[in-house]
Amino acid sequence: MQPLTQFATTTNGNVFTSLGIDWQMLILQIVAFLILVFILGKYVYPWLIKSVDERQANIEAANKAASEAQSAAVDAEARVEKLLKIARDEAADIVATAKLESAAALSASEEKAKKRSEQIVADAQGEIQKEVVAAKKALHNETLELVALATEKVVGKAVSSKIDESLITDSLKAVK
Amino acid sequence: MAIRVSRRKISNYIADQIAEGHETKKLIQELAAFLIDTRRTKELELVVRDIEYELKNRGIVLAWVTSAHDLTSATKTAINKLIKDQTDAKNVELQELVDPTVLGGVKIDLPGQQLDMTIARRLSLLRTNVKE
Repeated sequence: MQPLTQFATTTNGNVFTSLGIDWQMLILQIVAFLILVFILGKYVYPWLIKSVDERQANIEAANKAASEAQSAAVDAEARVEKLLKIARDEAADIVATAKLESAAALSASEEKAKKRSEQIVADAQGEIQKEVVAAKKALHNETLELVALATEKVVGKAVSSKIDESLITDSLKAVK
Repeated sequence: MAIRVSRRKISNYIADQIAEGHETKKLIQELAAFLIDTRRTKELELVVRDIEYELKNRGIVLAWVTSAHDLTSATKTAINKLIKDQTDAKNVELQELVDPTVLGGVKIDLPGQQLDMTIARRLSLLRTNVKE
């Protein structure tokens, strides 16, 4: 209770004095403060605000650029995806076409090989047939030659003068 | 320079002489002497062939008969008759040849004509005609 009673006692005089405040000093400090505020407001704050604004603008620009870059990246990714899809489709088409063509080529080559083999077999059979015919002819002629030779040998010994005379007589009658 | 006598004239002359009954041996000697003299001995075979033709035209046929065995007189007569029938010859002269390679049968060589009835000929025909 003592401080409060002491303050009440002093308020009856000068409050500022009781608080230890010097009027003159206070005014001077207020003026100095205002001057300081004026100087700061005139020269420092604009520069500072400008600098902050520029930085903010830079940051915003950077953000915008980043956003645009992201958007561009998304677009690019979409385009890439689209191109990849087209490329995949084309590749699939090419592979399918190649498969069809290879299958057709394989079929054609198989057909050609089959025809060729059939031709070879037919030629071989023809050659064999010719050789068989030639062998038969050779055998026939050889047999004929042997028969003629055997006949010569047998007839040369078998034909006597009497038989020969009979043969000649028959021949002469046949000519007549 | 002597004129070259044609083969036809020579053969005509010889054939005429033979047909008229001149001695054959003497004619042959004359022909041989002529060919030697005129250096035409290479033409001997052709001249003989021409003479045979000319004799045939005059009714005289010279036939070469080849057989494997000697011919009997009956066979010769039959051959003679056959030649006369075939060629209308008045006179046929047979010259016999024995050749065992003909095997059997007979072969008759006439001027410009041949009758081959031998077994060898038949075998030869068999070889050539039946061969493939």
